[in-house]
Amino acid sequence: MRVIVGICLVLLFAFPVQADQTLVMARSDAKAGHVMEVLRETLPEYGYSVAHVQRCDGGMAEFDYKTDFYRVVFFGKVEEVRRILARHPEMSPYLPLKIAVIAENNETLLAAMDPRALSPMFPDDPELQLQLSRWHSDIQAMLEEMRRLKK
Amino acid sequence: MRYWSWLFLLLCMPLYAAPDGKTLYEENCSACHHFRGQGGIGLPLSVEVLSQVSDDYIAKTIRHGRPGRIMPSFPKLSSAQVTAVVHYVRSWTGKPGPVFETTKIHGDAKKGNALYQKHCVRCHGKDGSGEGVGTGVTLSRERSFMIMPAALNNSGFQKSASDAMIRDIILIGRKSSNMPSFRGKISDQEVAHVIAYLRTLEPPAPRKGSEEWAGKPAYVMESPYDLETTVENVKQALAGANFRIFPQRYLEQGLTDEFSVNTRQVAIRFCNFKELYHLLNIDPRLGTVLPCRINVLEQNGKVLVISANVAQLATLFNNQELSEVGVLMEEIILTVMEEATL
Repeated sequence: MRVIVGICLVLLFAFPVQADQTLVMARSDAKAGHVMEVLRETLPEYGYSVAHVQRCDGGMAEFDYKTDFYRVVFFGKVEEVRRILARHPEMSPYLPLKIAVIAENNETLLAAMDPRALSPMFPDDPELQLQLSRWHSDIQAMLEEMRRLKK
Repeated sequence: MRYWSWLFLLLCMPLYAAPDGKTLYEENCSACHHFRGQGGIGLPLSVEVLSQVSDDYIAKTIRHGRPGRIMPSFPKLSSAQVTAVVHYVRSWTGKPGPVFETTKIHGDAKKGNALYQKHCVRCHGKDGSGEGVGTGVTLSRERSFMIMPAALNNSGFQKSASDAMIRDIILIGRKSSNMPSFRGKISDQEVAHVIAYLRTLEPPAPRKGSEEWAGKPAYVMESPYDLETTVENVKQALAGANFRIFPQRYLEQGLTDEFSVNTRQVAIRFCNFKELYHLLNIDPRLGTVLPCRINVLEQNGKVLVISANVAQLATLFNNQELSEVGVLMEEIILTVMEEATL
């Protein structure tokens, strides 16, 4: 049993990470308005509160943009924000977390910064690194849900 | 117990099943290249393009990416996974891709330079970095080129493209990007000269942000004033730098009820709209770091003025144009912060 479990654990941890990226992105077949609506419902399912939604599309048409939908969703967990800022006020520009929702014709592009991109800047804080990885997992899982949305 | 062991082993098996190219493509590539290679932020992977490039070129492009041109590298994908993605992309054309000789084509780079200046420079630029702003296709906005010309000086391109593949593209041209065929216009020897010149191209050295703040997540300055005065100082300095300031928010606002919000953590959000749209034209994913923000925090008896390290942040996009802007923004934000805390 031990040998088999050992082999399985080695296999699990040897499984390669898919990509080396600094942004987490997904494309959804669904329209931006619908994606936005579902994302707002999905965030609380992962334990996050939506802090606010920033519109970035005002006046885009004047600058040759044909898309009219560009939102940034700010979200987080207050206890996490408090715990981290108490130790690292320099993390404040990155909190709350955010996801950009961008219309591309009838589809939607979602993009977020990969929180793990900050890890090398905090080499002496394994707890924060774990937190950054957790946020990445949550963001990736939520974006994956948006990617699977049907039209 | 023995059955549990085998069940556990069985559960691990899918991890080592043959990689699924379609799933890998959808997870890693579709956001930029679209579900069937129609293109978006990334270049279209059209039948025409695929008929001109080898599987080896696609695989190396996945491996090396295009430093500074949005396409990231995927060094952690296994060889089997890369191959699976290549096979999936290739399946759209219904036929195998071309195979090119790997031998080097010899020519005179000096003569190639003259030919490049005559025939290629208008689209590929003086230094071979491609003309125009951004990359990919113009799904959301207008640009001077429908598809951005390849950055020939990019190290990812140089590592991926064989001489023979470049020769074929020069001779055949590419209709989808308005690249004309040079067959009959220049001789085989002249094509060899051009390729020799292309191999001398290198990307310009990128501008870097301030050394003082390199590797730090944020610019942090201590204010000698109280929180309220510091907030006003930051606003005044931002207005002086021609930024529009949004209504003030607390960092925790929206995350908890209004009575529990920490009112000693203020976020000052600001924007220069003209610049914003210019930047979104360079890279629509910029929203992931918007809006610009300077935070003022009162903590342990100190008042801190904090902004994201924008020079560092801009590098996340693997977009050289955006990285340059990040360095310029760093100067502006540091000036604002210094003014506010003088």
